Amino acid sequence: MASGVSGYAAISTRVRAMYSDLLAPQEMTRLGDSPDLPALVSALKSTPYGKYLSGLKDNELTPRRVILQIRNRLADSYSSVVQQAPEQTRPLVKQLFRYFEVGNLKAVLRSIQTVSSWNSDVAAWDRVREVLFPFGAFASIPAQAMVESGSVASAVDLLHGSPYEATMSFAMKRFSTEQNLFPLEVALDLDFWRRLWAEIKNLKGKDREMGGKLIGSLLDLNNLMWVIRYKIYHNLSEEELINYTLPFGYRVRDEDVRAIAAGADIASVVSRIYPNIPDVNALLDHPQSGLPKLEHLLKQQVMRQCVSAFIGYPFHIGLPLAYLLLSDFEIQDLVVLIEAKSSKLKDEEFRPLLLKTTLI
Amino acid sequence: MLFPKQMSEVELIVPSKDLMAVTRTLSGYGVFHQVDSAYLGLESLGPNAWQDKAGAYSTLERRIQAIMQNVGLAEEYPAKAEIEAVVDMDAVRPGVDRIEEEVKGVSDQLSGEKKRLELLESQLRQLEPIADVDVEVGVLKKSSFMHSILGVVPSANISRLRTSLLRVPHVFFILREDAQKPVVWILGPRSNSDVLERAAKSAYLNPLSLPDEFGGTPEQITAMLRKEIESVKQKVSGFEADLARLGGSYKSELQKLLWDVHISRVMADAIVRFGQLRHTYVVVGWAPTADLEDLVSRLKEASREILIETIATSRSGHHAQVPVALTQNKWLKPIQMLVGTYGHPSYGELDPTLLMAFTFPLLYGAMFGDLGQGLVMLVLGILMHNKIMMKGMQSLGLLIAYCGVSAAVFGYLYGSIFGFEGHLIEEYLHFHFEPMWISPMENILSVLSIAIDIGIVILMFSFLLGMLNNIRSRDWAHLLFGHSGIAAFVFYICFLAMLGAFLGDTALAPRVAVAINSLPLPFTTLLAVFGVFVMFGGFFRNMVEGHTLIEGKGVGGFMMFLIQSLMDLIETAISMLSNTLSFIRVGAFAVAHGGLSLAIFSLAGEEADAGFWITILIGNLFIIGFEGLIVGIQTMRLHYYEILGKFFHGGGMQFEPLKLSSSQEET
Repeated sequence: MASGVSGYAAISTRVRAMYSDLLAPQEMTRLGDSPDLPALVSALKSTPYGKYLSGLKDNELTPRRVILQIRNRLADSYSSVVQQAPEQTRPLVKQLFRYFEVGNLKAVLRSIQTVSSWNSDVAAWDRVREVLFPFGAFASIPAQAMVESGSVASAVDLLHGSPYEATMSFAMKRFSTEQNLFPLEVALDLDFWRRLWAEIKNLKGKDREMGGKLIGSLLDLNNLMWVIRYKIYHNLSEEELINYTLPFGYRVRDEDVRAIAAGADIASVVSRIYPNIPDVNALLDHPQSGLPKLEHLLKQQVMRQCVSAFIGYPFHIGLPLAYLLLSDFEIQDLVVLIEAKSSKLKDEEFRPLLLKTTLI
Repeated sequence: MLFPKQMSEVELIVPSKDLMAVTRTLSGYGVFHQVDSAYLGLESLGPNAWQDKAGAYSTLERRIQAIMQNVGLAEEYPAKAEIEAVVDMDAVRPGVDRIEEEVKGVSDQLSGEKKRLELLESQLRQLEPIADVDVEVGVLKKSSFMHSILGVVPSANISRLRTSLLRVPHVFFILREDAQKPVVWILGPRSNSDVLERAAKSAYLNPLSLPDEFGGTPEQITAMLRKEIESVKQKVSGFEADLARLGGSYKSELQKLLWDVHISRVMADAIVRFGQLRHTYVVVGWAPTADLEDLVSRLKEASREILIETIATSRSGHHAQVPVALTQNKWLKPIQMLVGTYGHPSYGELDPTLLMAFTFPLLYGAMFGDLGQGLVMLVLGILMHNKIMMKGMQSLGLLIAYCGVSAAVFGYLYGSIFGFEGHLIEEYLHFHFEPMWISPMENILSVLSIAIDIGIVILMFSFLLGMLNNIRSRDWAHLLFGHSGIAAFVFYICFLAMLGAFLGDTALAPRVAVAINSLPLPFTTLLAVFGVFVMFGGFFRNMVEGHTLIEGKGVGGFMMFLIQSLMDLIETAISMLSNTLSFIRVGAFAVAHGGLSLAIFSLAGEEADAGFWITILIGNLFIIGFEGLIVGIQTMRLHYYEILGKFFHGGGMQFEPLKLSSSQEET
């Protein structure tokens, strides 16, 4: 079992090279200066995303299509890391990659629920496939067959043998009585993070420490946003909030989540965990606009953790994980730009949403 | 036999008073294909009253069918059924109501017991996970002060579920530790039932719904459930027996009712499509000309004042609206089914059934030549045809029997019996059996060459049939310049001559092609001349038919026309080559059959012990089942792609006469 310097020599070098290919904040700003979507795509063609956009014809220049193409780069990065990572860390990277498959699964289920309201001229699968993450050979769900099955129950039946089968079989009992995708989606999220955390617990030494730090930070972000959103928007009870969240993470402790669930002041809990986030009270006073801002700030906390992983001892899983998370955040920024340019948003409407350029 | 029956158009003006008699005659004789003529009626007369009657009869017919289904009776009519007039609804309905009520009483009870049985079995399944738990379930469920939840929860959620219950007093039992589906039991004060329920639900706990009427430990409940299930099963059997008894006692009455209502419904449906005038009805349809005289005399017997006009329909020209009646012959039924899968012949077109009845078994046998296996297929086919095995597949049985005979004949010619050939027959079967004609395994190239020859002969015959079709329909343009017309046929002959010259003296050279090439004709010149006819076939056809010479002239101009014509020529030449060579598969399969048998023999070994004969037996069964099916598919493919396309277009409307028959036919 290769670990330490011997295990990480190749992948560390490779990841550092890939890290240098990530867009600098200045480049992101320049891309944001593009007057419209074609100009943005043209500018992106001169970046490392160029090879993913080169085959795109003018008549295919829709936001969805462009997003799908640039996501291919992230899929390639995951594929490359999975292949080069030391054997003991591969299950963790693969499970982290499944985050996108869980997203695909949710999109598929949503499409089935809403397909009746769609224009029947276009086949349901043709519409759905463009919003799915290009998971490629790693896919374990029959997405097309699920979309074409026509009902959530039939689609879930098709998950037989996949990692989601057991979770969905429990959650389907609730779906069949409530006819709402919420319990299915929550069950999928909880299962994903539990498995991911279990993979970190399977690691040792520096790998476990760095994995816990980076994945834990990401989990903190999700756990905190879940409990706040479920409380504010869904008005769920304490016991439901506890059952729909997770008791582990990096900085967010179970007591914090339970305190929010029990009715403690959310702003004071958040401020205690993240003392460097200013004006949390003001953000929560207007949750409609404040919560996305809070999420934005929490993502930047994760980004800082990722950047710090590149400083110091480099032979651990932290570097590949940090690179993959930063790549994902970069693509999230590009998605903001693509949507903004296709919707012709003003600068002040989209620039504050960019993670990279607003990171101090 | 070679062509669909000659049809005549029939138009009737029927006095209102003779409506029933005429309808009965039309429906009862079974030769009249009705055409909807309701539009010929007077609109001022308002909606046709028969519409409602037809609907009412249809509903009643469905009710009787449902009753028969409930009592386990097949939907059969009386053995000796008379075709009478439309029955009075008020006369038959009370009878149906009475039987239905009696049957419904029993069938409702049966259905209730079946549902209960299902519920009990489901409860038994739910109890399985806690069968070994020694706790009284019912006592806690009935408690006035305690709220109890028993269910299966994902193991990963247990710890969180416990945490979520910390704020309320409760007791948490894990009744069964299971990595996948642990069973838990939560107990708490009834005042906190909402908290307990919310927590359980949000932890994805699936409650076990246990029967309220049973008390005790799961083991005791399970025993009680099993006992109850047995008792319910006995009740179910009892009700089923009651229904069967009812079926027996009402069988003849139900069959009579079904027949009466069925003929009433069919006649009412027919009348709905008559054109209704003030005192008469207009009826339009088709009948085979051969049956016309008899039909007319029967109609005149039914109504003295009926006006009948018949118009014989010529086979030439286009007759998409003429229904096509094929000659019925029970021995040709499986072949008719094969033709029907490709298409229904149109009126005036040659019916390929007879040709296919000859070529299908011929090609099948040539590919699957084995005396023993062929005879097995023959026996199997006869058993199927006589409903001794695989009931409901009589026609397929007949086809298998035909193919079996042909395979046996070719097996005799190839010297093959159950895969044994040549010295193997003497060695293992101890008798002498020489190929009467040729051994495919020892003359591979000759067999392939003969197969191409057979293909050439069949294709030339198909060309001729195509031309015959064009002559009968007086389609001179296609006769001269169509894809299977004279120009294409001569081009094919010249093409074969070239093929014969090219392959020359090689073993693979088709003898027919070589023979054509030896004729003292300038084939190269003819090929060029008729190639031009084929190339510009569309142009010449338009010229003969007097249409615009070049269709779509404006699109791409003259150059485009030339390119398209050249592509037509290339496509025709390629298709002729591929059609011809396609028949090589007949020889290839004959060789492959011998090869497959050899493979079985190598598996069986050389020692003629029990293992050897078992292997040979299994191998033969495999060959009959697997290779027999593949050869069947290949034979169909040759007919559908290479042969029928040359002269058969299909697309005809099936002749569906009004029919009131008490016999049940194979579908």
